Amino acid sequence: MKLNEKKFFELAKANGFESADYALNESSSLSVSIFHGEVDSLTNNNSFSLVARGIYKGKMGSISVDHVDKDSPEFLVKEIKRAAQIIENDDPVFIFKGSEKYHKKNVSKNVDFSENIQEKVGILKEIEKKLLAYDKRINEVMSVGFESSSNAYKKTNSYGLKLSQKMNSYTYYVQLSAKQGEEIRTGFEVFASFDENEFNIDDFVKKAATNALEKLGSVQCSSKKYPVVLNPECVAALISTLIGSLDAEEIQKHTSLLEGKLNQQVLSKKLTVIENPLAKNLFFRYFDDEGVATNKKYLFKKGVVSTYLYTLQTAAKDKVSPTGNGYGSGSKAHADVGYVEVKGGKKSEEEIISEIKEGVYLTELTGLHAGMNAQSGNFSLQCAGFMIRDGKKCEPLALITVADNLLNVFNNIKCVANNNKLVIFNQMSCPSIYIKKMAISGK
Amino acid sequence: MISKNQALCILNSGLPTGADYAEIYIEEKDTFTVVVENGKVENSAISRSYGAGIRLLNKLQSVYGYTNEVNEKSLTKLIQNLANSFHEKQCIFLDKLVTKTAKNLSVVKQSYLNTDDNIIINFLKKGEKVMREFDKRIVRTQFTFSYSISKVQIASTKGINFLDQKERGRCGIMCVAADQGKIETGFEGPGASAGFEYFLNNVDIEALAKKTAEKTIMMLEAKECPSGKMPVIIGNGFGGTLFHEACGHPLEASMVSKNLSVFSGKVGQQIASPILSAIDDGTIPNGWGSNNIDDEGNKTEKTLLIENGILKDYLIDDFNGRRMGRKGNGACRRQSYKYEPTSRMSNTYICAGKSTPEEIIKATKFGLYAKSLAGGQVNPVTGEFNFGCSEAYLVRDGKICEPVRGASVIGTGPDILMKIDMIGNDLLRGQGMCGAASGFIPVDCGQPTIRVSEMTVGGNGGEIK
Repeated sequence: MKLNEKKFFELAKANGFESADYALNESSSLSVSIFHGEVDSLTNNNSFSLVARGIYKGKMGSISVDHVDKDSPEFLVKEIKRAAQIIENDDPVFIFKGSEKYHKKNVSKNVDFSENIQEKVGILKEIEKKLLAYDKRINEVMSVGFESSSNAYKKTNSYGLKLSQKMNSYTYYVQLSAKQGEEIRTGFEVFASFDENEFNIDDFVKKAATNALEKLGSVQCSSKKYPVVLNPECVAALISTLIGSLDAEEIQKHTSLLEGKLNQQVLSKKLTVIENPLAKNLFFRYFDDEGVATNKKYLFKKGVVSTYLYTLQTAAKDKVSPTGNGYGSGSKAHADVGYVEVKGGKKSEEEIISEIKEGVYLTELTGLHAGMNAQSGNFSLQCAGFMIRDGKKCEPLALITVADNLLNVFNNIKCVANNNKLVIFNQMSCPSIYIKKMAISGK
Repeated sequence: MISKNQALCILNSGLPTGADYAEIYIEEKDTFTVVVENGKVENSAISRSYGAGIRLLNKLQSVYGYTNEVNEKSLTKLIQNLANSFHEKQCIFLDKLVTKTAKNLSVVKQSYLNTDDNIIINFLKKGEKVMREFDKRIVRTQFTFSYSISKVQIASTKGINFLDQKERGRCGIMCVAADQGKIETGFEGPGASAGFEYFLNNVDIEALAKKTAEKTIMMLEAKECPSGKMPVIIGNGFGGTLFHEACGHPLEASMVSKNLSVFSGKVGQQIASPILSAIDDGTIPNGWGSNNIDDEGNKTEKTLLIENGILKDYLIDDFNGRRMGRKGNGACRRQSYKYEPTSRMSNTYICAGKSTPEEIIKATKFGLYAKSLAGGQVNPVTGEFNFGCSEAYLVRDGKICEPVRGASVIGTGPDILMKIDMIGNDLLRGQGMCGAASGFIPVDCGQPTIRVSEMTVGGNGGEIK
């Protein structure tokens, strides 16, 4: 099933469109999970999505579909026109003619979907068995699964720009629980890569088991301000929200806490954050969803706001160049980032913890969608972690909250560790960071 | 959509390797979204989705796949591929399919098909103007309306070829206020399984805009919430997020059937305060979370989950019900054909009690009054949950006092349910989107005003004074 591209562009032109484009995403995936030694769920999917856009009388209309047939060119043009005709915003809109240079790389591997699924089932069974044998307190492997997926993304427009990229990934995941007396704690582990050979079962089992077991015996700490070490996952969660404040649209609409702060020192000199979408990893992107070439750049350099993130539209409004951060599938792109690295420091995490007499080591932040005010940077979140006493990680903590403000947190950095870790969920490599004080609420 | 005979042939071609159940779910869905900001239409989005998901079950094993090619050839190929996962003898054969049209529980008087885009836009603009002009400190207003029109066909080896049609609409009202470096956001989101008449007749957009603006400005002026343990009064309506997170998710068969939920095996036991009863009702006419049939073709039901604190039932889908020796009770849902369905909530609420909200406030010496919640999250295994407050006040000596911002509340479901010591008589439902294994689905969370005798409150305002 293919869109008749020539007909679509011809019809768009005949209907008075200034320009038009479409983005096509085709993906395939195979996933399997087991429960109690038996295959519990197996899915095999082929997915297709197409977003077509056009500029009609100075307004951008768009439509997304997951099915095309011979009538699609007429339907797409009609609906794009309908969408464009109701827009009243006078902001300039663009279908991009192309960047001067693109840094295309091949980072995908051929995925064979006919591969023997039984071999994967065997690996999953081995993981389940090893986890249950790891420690008698591990009482349940709730889900253990594998997924391989491949994805082909293509962007074409009426100016003749044609961009495409292929990606693939392999993912293993597990969720488990550990029980001690009446207390139950859950743990999880995810491995994702485009190279399955990097997967090591024993390492995966050890990380997953430790993640659940070390939480047993959790208590609440006293409510007060503590020195806090944020682990890489917690750093990634907070930095992701902070990066959202670099969105030029939020700046232009006066709803960002970083408005008027470009090139100003707003965070600790110890914090440097770099967007590197061209890094050869799972998150490689050499063009954004508007077709603009991506590039490696500082977001925060030694605490200074180095750039705002621009789409074609917000860049035109500020009379600057787009930054290759236009993402999204509708008529209006929003700013986002690809792979991000938070620069690591010199000390190990252990060295940093050894300097703290009494503090908290945070390993989980939950409820960000409800407890984080992205506009103001204020947050109050459920969290979990460990007490630090006399320089050592001690009893686990649960059912506590941490409250602060993003600018405040990253202005109060005492030290950045050298333990950078890839946090898959946030597409980010982060180290642990030692914050001078944060408000923890417990008992 | 495919014909009844095509469905019959496709289903039978998935059975030779031992599947004991086969199901085709076909969905055609049109959605439309329009956004008004600063008095003008800022953005619009149109999408059309059409595809089919096929599920085969063999005892406790499920295989699922989906495709955008909805025709007999492609669906037969998909079901045969899925059937290759089983290696047993054929155990069932489907003789015939009976076509049924699902009874429409939610009457649509003004279909979105016949609603001019401009009627919706003018409705939004009326409210947006009120909000924009309310206070100079309001720096951004965003009024969104989204609707969907979907046609669904569910044919399965139960012998039924169900046809269903539904329309849903939701209005999103967002207000951002800023002053002296402080920024606050307010949101309201009324929605219904209904045509646009629901909004014209039931949603006073100007009044809602004013209320949202007032709340946002007030929170801008609020002090940071103190932290510590205290009684928490939770306001009616979307306050039901508390029950949704603390109890609703752990009552879903996907966790219960595998003995993974804190409430597994506890039917008949006291799991909540004796004053608490709770219901999940997928049949409420025009309810945001209502459905005529669930996503595996079972009739939706009104399920009594808890009665006077005693656990009565779970939310069950047919597949997970197999581990429980139970049939589904109409609680099987999915975001779209791209998701394998599982047990989910619909319109879940705590039943009305006897106290007036004023009596509850008056009976509280000191505590937090969480009037509006922003959403939450739960770990169904440990029961630990959290939710954020979008509008909250401190209660002192039986009176609502200063507003506080940045409050979050945490606890464990089993503990909190037992600590609900007062329930109001002002039941109200609020609308939200719930994300879990089978995607994002519309749900109602509802409750009257309730009081929990003690919860952990998080905030950046230091100790309680």
